[in-house]
Amino acid sequence: MRWHKRLLVAGVTGVLALTASACAGGQVRGAGGTPQPQASGGQSAAAQANDSTFVYVPNLDVVTDWDPATSYSNEIIALSNIYEGLTRYNSETRKAEPRLATEWTTANDGKEWTFKLRQGVKFHSGAELTAEAAKKAIERTIEKKGGAAYIWDAVDEIEAVDASTLKFTLTYATPLDLVASSGYAAYIYDVDAVDADGEKTAGTGPYTVDSWQKGKETELTLKAFEGYWGGWKPEQYKKVAFRVTPEITTAWQLLQNGEVNFVQRLNPQLFQQADTTAKVQTAQVPSFQNLLVLFNTASGPAKDDRIRKALQAAIDYDGLIAALKGSATKASGLVPQGLLGHAAGMEPKQDLAKAQELLAEAGYGPDLEELKLTMTYAQGDEDQKLLVTLLSSTLKKLHVTLQARPMTWNAQWDLGKKQGQDIFVMYWYPDYPDAYSWFVNVFKSAEKPQFNLSYLKNAEIDAAIDALPQLTATDQLKADMAYQDLQKKIIEEQAAVAVPYVQKYQRALTADIQGYVDNPAYPNVVFFYDLKRAS
Amino acid sequence: MARYLARRLGQALLVVAGVVMLTFAVMRLVPGDPAVAFAGPKATPEQLAAARERFGLDDPIPLQFVNYVRDLFTGDWGTSLRTRQPVRDDLYLAFPASLELVGAALVIAVLIGIPIGVLAARYKTKFPDFGVRFTSMLAVSVPVFWLALAMQLVFAGHLGWFPIAGEYDSSLDSTSPLTLWTNITIVDALITGNWPIFTSTLEHLVLPALVVAAYPTGMIAQMARAALIEESGQDHARLERALGFGETSILTRFALRPALSPVLSLIALVFAYSIVNGFLVEAVFNWPGLGRYAAESIKSLDTPAIAGVTLLVALVYTTANLIVDLLQGVVDPRARAR
Repeated sequence: MRWHKRLLVAGVTGVLALTASACAGGQVRGAGGTPQPQASGGQSAAAQANDSTFVYVPNLDVVTDWDPATSYSNEIIALSNIYEGLTRYNSETRKAEPRLATEWTTANDGKEWTFKLRQGVKFHSGAELTAEAAKKAIERTIEKKGGAAYIWDAVDEIEAVDASTLKFTLTYATPLDLVASSGYAAYIYDVDAVDADGEKTAGTGPYTVDSWQKGKETELTLKAFEGYWGGWKPEQYKKVAFRVTPEITTAWQLLQNGEVNFVQRLNPQLFQQADTTAKVQTAQVPSFQNLLVLFNTASGPAKDDRIRKALQAAIDYDGLIAALKGSATKASGLVPQGLLGHAAGMEPKQDLAKAQELLAEAGYGPDLEELKLTMTYAQGDEDQKLLVTLLSSTLKKLHVTLQARPMTWNAQWDLGKKQGQDIFVMYWYPDYPDAYSWFVNVFKSAEKPQFNLSYLKNAEIDAAIDALPQLTATDQLKADMAYQDLQKKIIEEQAAVAVPYVQKYQRALTADIQGYVDNPAYPNVVFFYDLKRAS
Repeated sequence: MARYLARRLGQALLVVAGVVMLTFAVMRLVPGDPAVAFAGPKATPEQLAAARERFGLDDPIPLQFVNYVRDLFTGDWGTSLRTRQPVRDDLYLAFPASLELVGAALVIAVLIGIPIGVLAARYKTKFPDFGVRFTSMLAVSVPVFWLALAMQLVFAGHLGWFPIAGEYDSSLDSTSPLTLWTNITIVDALITGNWPIFTSTLEHLVLPALVVAAYPTGMIAQMARAALIEESGQDHARLERALGFGETSILTRFALRPALSPVLSLIALVFAYSIVNGFLVEAVFNWPGLGRYAAESIKSLDTPAIAGVTLLVALVYTTANLIVDLLQGVVDPRARAR
């Protein structure tokens, strides 16, 4: 044997030995080490069978908390496909629709709710969905006190009347059908199967976890739950992957190349380009998240309502919307479109003459004293920065100096709780699809301000806010009117807030996807089960 | 040699201790309540109190520092506020990926940088020298994010020669799952003979590694050129010339070894620098590395994660310098005496 042949043999032996020892003890990355046959070849057999993977591109971590009780972050996108609630909200009809509950009734002025559960539903663990199991899940969520567990605050007692009837007794009236449709803290799960590491899932939804690799590019993959109560059709997606892509241009290239199917967010320029690109479709819908410009009604110069009204009139609403290039729509009132209580015809308009007049009445203006105001907003948020830039330059002409400070949320919030600014800018969104969230959190009086960062204290408004849940539960028409009335009081009479815009979701998808509906009640969620692939 | 080693090690430990103190101070100086970052933007007062209790934020500052140092030694680097995973686990995933990328880039940088440095020194002030100086200047000064985007657009997007982004084709995870030993994908694929993942990683590595390599290649070429020119003016080079050695052979056989000493220090420096400063490249190419982790942590003010990254980078810096010091002792025995 020549020397180089010997070397080759030695080398090959070495590699083989390494391989053998490697297989003996290393950790296998991915789905528990069970190789799955690549689904191919069978195309002719089942012509429309969809064996491709739907690839979703988020820009941040996919899962930070696997517990369906406490989850309160990005994982809503994945968990909404793994877990289900009793109801699901439809933003077009503005009503909760059946999911794990097929029907429900309310009695005793909205203080008693009875849900009939769907028959033949199985958890991923194999256990059957019963009223007892649902009761245990909600009770566990309440006890954990994490995330959005407060949504069940009204619940006094849950009773499993029989295997398929769940009865809630409340301490005060609340639209529990809306609460139950929440994307956070309303999942029904098998309490005995909850796994904090995400290796097992305890839901009833159409998908289960295939693999989860924290920190990897493809962080999470889902697979179809064969025992799903809705059944499976050949054209539906059986596999889903989440490919974390923080860079927008990279996401756009991957989409154009057909490597991914859904991009959560593009910038306005790329979105326009996507609109005219073959093989790509776009979708846009206003979200339930709006920007609140809260004026300090308790101290400082803005305590004078003429100043607040002048500020409302000074904001260049149309200019802002134009500068945001399609990533926002003009707001009308506090309640976004798609929720009960949305008030049409309340779109604000800039009126500089009125602003100058009001300022002059208060003793400020171009020929009068200079007014200095402080304002805090979110650091790194380009949209808010745009508002600040536009507002500062407008106010300068009115002899008002705006000292605007970009801050991180926790620093901004700390300062806000101490009434440390004249104007506080923040986004607000409801945890479950009910406009009540804005009013009870942001505008109801509080001894120690939490989110009431306009520091509004008005007994009449408080009483009206307290009446909202019962009205929503029992008489939606009256509730709608009460909401409209309250918005007029808070925005027009009290001038506690200006609402410049509602954020708009701009999605880009590959053109072969059918059945995509963007539901703002579940931010950024794609219900993969509803999608089909066009042949 | 032992004393030399001990002295260097002592210096390295001092640096790390300093970094630990500094990161702790910065962590506590950042305005705002870290509990808010953990409990979420809409946290209730009870949830905030629970988070504060969990992280010991109500303890006096000196006690917090003692606990912090104790936890570091026991391997508890804190919990990331953003990913909610132990920081050590996060780093254990991100660091090997960066090591892979920067390692590949440095191999490219050395393989290209040193030969073209020799070439430039050999033909000093002639056309090859100008060419090398111009391109290395360009490589050093071109903005790395621009280069990354341009390379991605041309070679991956339009020409389709390389993948657009990612570390390897993740569908291979189910067809040929990788057994992990070092957590560095390409190394694990090689030692376990997982060729599909190995070739896929190699393909994915080309573009980002070339981009990361641009800066070190330029630096190494310029440094090698300068050091070689200096060495070839030394007395020993005159002797070698007198003995009839040609210029090329003087440079490669005699001048290169002493000239490598500054180049080695430079490599250690750019290595540690590239580990974190590769974040723009990592972001463009979706590389799940440390730079990207650091950037996301900074954006969300995730103080435990930032502190973890800082400490790890300090460790990498000191270790790289230590290794270079030792190597220098081997390459150039005079260094040991200094």
